[in-house]
Amino acid sequence: MSRLRTVQTRLICSDTSPAEQAGVSKDCRRPKLLSVPEPSFDYEACLADCARGEQQALHNLYDQESARLLGVALRIVRDTALAEDIVHDAFIKIWARAASYDASRGSARGWIFSVTRHLALNFMRDNARNASASEFDENALPDDSATVIADSFEYREHSGRIYNCLELLEPARRNCILHAYVDGYSHAQIAAKLGAPLGTVKAWIKRSLSALRECMG
Amino acid sequence: MSPQAIDELASEYVLGTLSAEQRDEVRQRLASEPELRAAVDAWEQRLLDLTAQAESQQPSPLLWRRIERSVNSARRQTPAQPTTQSWWNMLPLWRGLAGAGIAASVVLASVLMLRGAAVSEPSYLVVLVAPQDKAPGWVVQASNREEIQLIPLGVAEIPQDKALQFWTKGDDWQAPVSLGLVKPGQSLSISLDKLPPLAPNQLFELTLESPTGSPTGKPTGPIQFIGRAVKVI
Repeated sequence: MSRLRTVQTRLICSDTSPAEQAGVSKDCRRPKLLSVPEPSFDYEACLADCARGEQQALHNLYDQESARLLGVALRIVRDTALAEDIVHDAFIKIWARAASYDASRGSARGWIFSVTRHLALNFMRDNARNASASEFDENALPDDSATVIADSFEYREHSGRIYNCLELLEPARRNCILHAYVDGYSHAQIAAKLGAPLGTVKAWIKRSLSALRECMG
Repeated sequence: MSPQAIDELASEYVLGTLSAEQRDEVRQRLASEPELRAAVDAWEQRLLDLTAQAESQQPSPLLWRRIERSVNSARRQTPAQPTTQSWWNMLPLWRGLAGAGIAASVVLASVLMLRGAAVSEPSYLVVLVAPQDKAPGWVVQASNREEIQLIPLGVAEIPQDKALQFWTKGDDWQAPVSLGLVKPGQSLSISLDKLPPLAPNQLFELTLESPTGSPTGKPTGPIQFIGRAVKVI
């Protein structure tokens, strides 16, 4: 799956002009740095411009973050068309609510990601509510056959406080956190994925969050 | 609810493991419970870097066009759907404010005349309103294009550890320019000699910043009052 995506990215990038390839917002030239935000992009100023009704600012934000936001949404909803719907709704929400963004509550980049992630999570949870409880879709989970618990999450090395703290957790508990945050799995889905009892998974997550809180302050 | 219980609820909300019902409940409570909101904000920041685990995915070329279309159609909508339309896109609001601006200019002009001040009639007027309830809070008037007066209509309430910063931005400027810090209830006369002359539609706003002003030189805090210059006929 990831190999396919890489190929697709290259194909998209192959027809861009050299000038475009030199542009800061083109991710294709540095696939290893896909998830590192450009430090020069002023997210706060961008939201302030959106609040003033400057549509170019929204476009700049789109150029800057749409691929990463789509990646985040896709992991949760697991369908490209649905993920694009989520990113569409997220940008409309960012545009409409830019004036209510408050820098004292957190970074503008964090706010943009939170808006997108919660739209995707709401969609998945509301969908689960509307489906009957017995209709839990096992097929939605990738490689459901006997997975070794410790390796169930394909972990990408990154630096940052949260990663140092995650390293301190047992692999199975770390995977619970990653499956929940990155894949948007519910308690029941994580239990199915890891082959662990539901109660155990709930307790692991609760204690892991408490440990992360201790570690990160 | 104990602080620990609030923090646990916030952590599982941000992690994503709550059910639809529990998520609805948290969303409703966020509006009225600052402790829960603060706990959620802190967890969002703690876990944000985990988004780097998701591989980027190039959107289809159609996605931006879709977003653009939705934004533009929201701009064209009538205020019948206030939830989907932003206040700054409401033409009737700005028309109303332009009317209010003219009315205010008449009032101000007569006040000035009664005072016997040797000031000519203002040629530009801005009514600065709160973005949420559109309540007018300040008036900017200019009798010429090089100097403006900021006049409070009341005493705005701001948090103790914050200050109001005054900004302006012309239609073709790159970024807003600071006109300095403003105390609630204080009148201010500001010379625009280092800036281009006042122009119609020029934006003025007051944002909430740290006591010494925005650290970046650009507005960073939430907009408290905002309005555009109207030329008085």
